[in-house]
Amino acid sequence: MEKDIAIKVTDVYKSFRIYSDRGYSLKETILFSKRRKYETHEVIKGISFDVKKGEAIGLVGHNGCGKSTMLKMLTRIMYPDKGSIEIKGRVSSLIELGAGFHPDMSGRENIYTNAAIFGLSKKEIDERIQSIIDFSEIEEFIDNPVRTYSSGMYMRLAFAVAINVDADVLMIDEILAVGDVAFQNKCFNRLKEIKANGTTIVIVSHSLTQIEQICERSFWINDGVICAEGDPKTVHMTYLDYMIQKQKASENAEVQVIKEEPKQQSEEQPVGGQPEASSESEAVPEEPKKRWGSKDAEITAISIRTADGKESRIFSTNDDIEIELSYEVKNPVYDAVFGIGIFNRDGVCCYGTNTRIDRLPEFSLEKSGSMVIKLTNVSLISGEYLLDFAIQQGQGIPIDYYREAAMITVTSNIDDIGVTRIAHEWDLGKC
Amino acid sequence: MHTIKEIYEYRQMIASLVRKDLRGRYKGSVLGFLWTFVNPLLQLLVYSIVFSSIMRMANVDKYYLFLFVALIPWIFFSSSLTGGATSILANTNMITKIYFPREVLPISYVTSCFVNMLYSFIVVFIVVIISGIGVNPLSLLFLPLVMLVEYIFALGIALIVSAVNVYFRDLEHILGIITMAWMYFTPIIYGIDAIPEQWAFYFRLNPMCHIITAYRDILYFKSIPDVPALLATGGVSAVILIVGFAVFSKLKRRFAETV
Repeated sequence: MEKDIAIKVTDVYKSFRIYSDRGYSLKETILFSKRRKYETHEVIKGISFDVKKGEAIGLVGHNGCGKSTMLKMLTRIMYPDKGSIEIKGRVSSLIELGAGFHPDMSGRENIYTNAAIFGLSKKEIDERIQSIIDFSEIEEFIDNPVRTYSSGMYMRLAFAVAINVDADVLMIDEILAVGDVAFQNKCFNRLKEIKANGTTIVIVSHSLTQIEQICERSFWINDGVICAEGDPKTVHMTYLDYMIQKQKASENAEVQVIKEEPKQQSEEQPVGGQPEASSESEAVPEEPKKRWGSKDAEITAISIRTADGKESRIFSTNDDIEIELSYEVKNPVYDAVFGIGIFNRDGVCCYGTNTRIDRLPEFSLEKSGSMVIKLTNVSLISGEYLLDFAIQQGQGIPIDYYREAAMITVTSNIDDIGVTRIAHEWDLGKC
Repeated sequence: MHTIKEIYEYRQMIASLVRKDLRGRYKGSVLGFLWTFVNPLLQLLVYSIVFSSIMRMANVDKYYLFLFVALIPWIFFSSSLTGGATSILANTNMITKIYFPREVLPISYVTSCFVNMLYSFIVVFIVVIISGIGVNPLSLLFLPLVMLVEYIFALGIALIVSAVNVYFRDLEHILGIITMAWMYFTPIIYGIDAIPEQWAFYFRLNPMCHIITAYRDILYFKSIPDVPALLATGGVSAVILIVGFAVFSKLKRRFAETV
C-alpha cells in the first residue's frame, strides 16, 4: 500500500443470506438441510476507493443502499466476500456509543471499560481521563452510577470517550444527533480538530450539510455501487436530484389519494400571519394533515424554476426563484388570497407572506388558471426548505391549504448559520 | 500471530470485562462480593454434613475435603465450558456494533471463572489448614503449573464451543449433558485408584483426569503430582488451544451476520 494512503478498498463484494426459515437447532439442521432455502441478497457489488491519510470522506445514499454495510466492513465488524480492505493504524468507530456500559458502575469506571473496548491500555486511559470528563461536562456526577444519569448525560459521556480515543482512522455513523445544540456544536468542532490533527475520517450520514462541512470527498452509493464521487456539493446535488425524481414518481400516486379526502372546514392561520401554526398542530395528537380547505379551488401543479426558467429544486443562496401555481376552480372564490410559507427543517418559518399582507388589490378566482410569484435574491442559508402554498378567502378561510407542498434545497459554499444570510462585510482596517 | 498481538493490545478490555463480570455477578445482593467466599464455604458445609454423618465413606479420611479440592477446579472447568459457549451470543450488541478481536469474549469469560476459582482457593487453604491436613510447601510449588494447564485446556475448549454455538445453538443444551457425564467419568467423587483396571487406559485419555488428580495429590495427599503425566496433559492442552484459535478465527468472520 502506498505511503500516504490510509484506507484502500479493492473491488469489494458482500452479500447476505436471507433465510426464509432459518433453523439453528440440531433437528432442523439434520432433517431439513435441503429445505433450508435462502436467498442471496447482494448488497455491495464491487466497490473500490482509496482514502488518503488525513482525508475525510462521506458516504451518502438512500436507506438500504449499502452504505452502512460498507462502514461495517471498514470497521471489520463484517468481512467482504470478495475483494480486500486494507487500513493502516488504529481504527475507532462512533457507531455504537456506550458499548459495554454497566448501569451499576460509576461514570469513571465505565470510562475505563468503554475505552478498553476501543483497545486502549490502562496507561493510555489514565492520560485521557481528565479530558474525557471535561468534554462530557458531567464532572460532578462522574462517581455516581451510570443508571442515575439522564439519557443526555449518558450519551455525552459515551461520546466523550469515543472521540478521545485518538485513532488514526475514525468511522462515524450518524452520530451528531447527540445532546442539545450546544453539545452538538462542540462535538462538531472537536471533529474538525481531530481532522486537523491528521486523523482520517469516514462519515455515513443523512445530514449532507455536515458532510459538506467536514469532508473533502463524498461518495454516493446506490444499489451497491459508487454512482458518483468527488466534491461533496457536486455529488450531493446529483444525489438529491435523483432522490427528487424518485420522490416525484411516488408523489404522483399520492396526489390521487389526497383528492379523495373529505372536505373539511377549519379555522386556520393565514400563511405568513403570526407563526403559530406549530402550536396549532400540537393540540392534535394524530399526524397533522398536510392539506385541507373547502376545495372550491385547488392547486393542481407547482412549478419551481430558476431565473432562466429551468425547472429545479436546488438553488444557491442569493439565487432568484420563480414559482408558478396552477389551479382549478370548481366554484368561484371571491376575495381570494394566495399565500406562501417557507419553513426550514426545524419547522421554523423563515418567511411567509400572502397577497393580502402585501396589500394587493382584491381579486376573485372564477376560472382555472395559474399565478406566478418571483422571489428575488433568496438569501436563505444552505439547507432543505419546505414550502407551503395556500389559496384562502377573505380573512383566512382556507380554500386549499397545502402544507409541505414542495421541498427545495439551498446550497452555499459558505458555512454560515442561522436562517437567512444578512448581507454584510467585514472591515478589519483598524485591527 | 497477528491475532495474538492484537489480543495483547486489548488486554485492558479483557481486564475490565473480567472485573465487570466478577463485580456484576453479586451486584445488588446484601453480601455482595462476599458471596464469592460464602458460596464455596456453604457448599463445603453441605458436603461435610452429608458425607460425615449420613453417607460415611469409611475408606477415605475426611471425604468432604477429598471431594472439595477436586470439585472447585472442576467447577471452574465446567462453567468455562457451559458459560463460555454462550459468551458470544450474550454479547450480540457488541459483536454487531463495534470491532474488537472476538477472542476477547471467551478469553475474558474463562479468565473470570479462573479468578473466581482463585478466590475459592482461599477458602480451600483455610479449610485444609484448619482441618489438620496441612500443606506441603514442596508440592504446593506445582499448584501454579496445574492451574496453568487447566486454564489452557479450558480456554481451548471454550474457544471452540463459543464459536460453534453461534451457528449451532443446540450445543449449549447438549453441553449440559456432556459436562454432567464428563464429571462422572473424571475422578472427582472417587479417587483415581477406584477406576477398574480394564478401563484405566480410556480414563487416562481424558486430560481432566490428570488435572483433577494433580490437584488432589497436591492439596489432599500433600504429595508431588505425577509430573510426566502433567506435562503430557499440558502438551495436549496446548494443541487444543491452538486448534481452538484456528477454529475460532475461521468461524468469527460471519458472527456479526449470524448472531
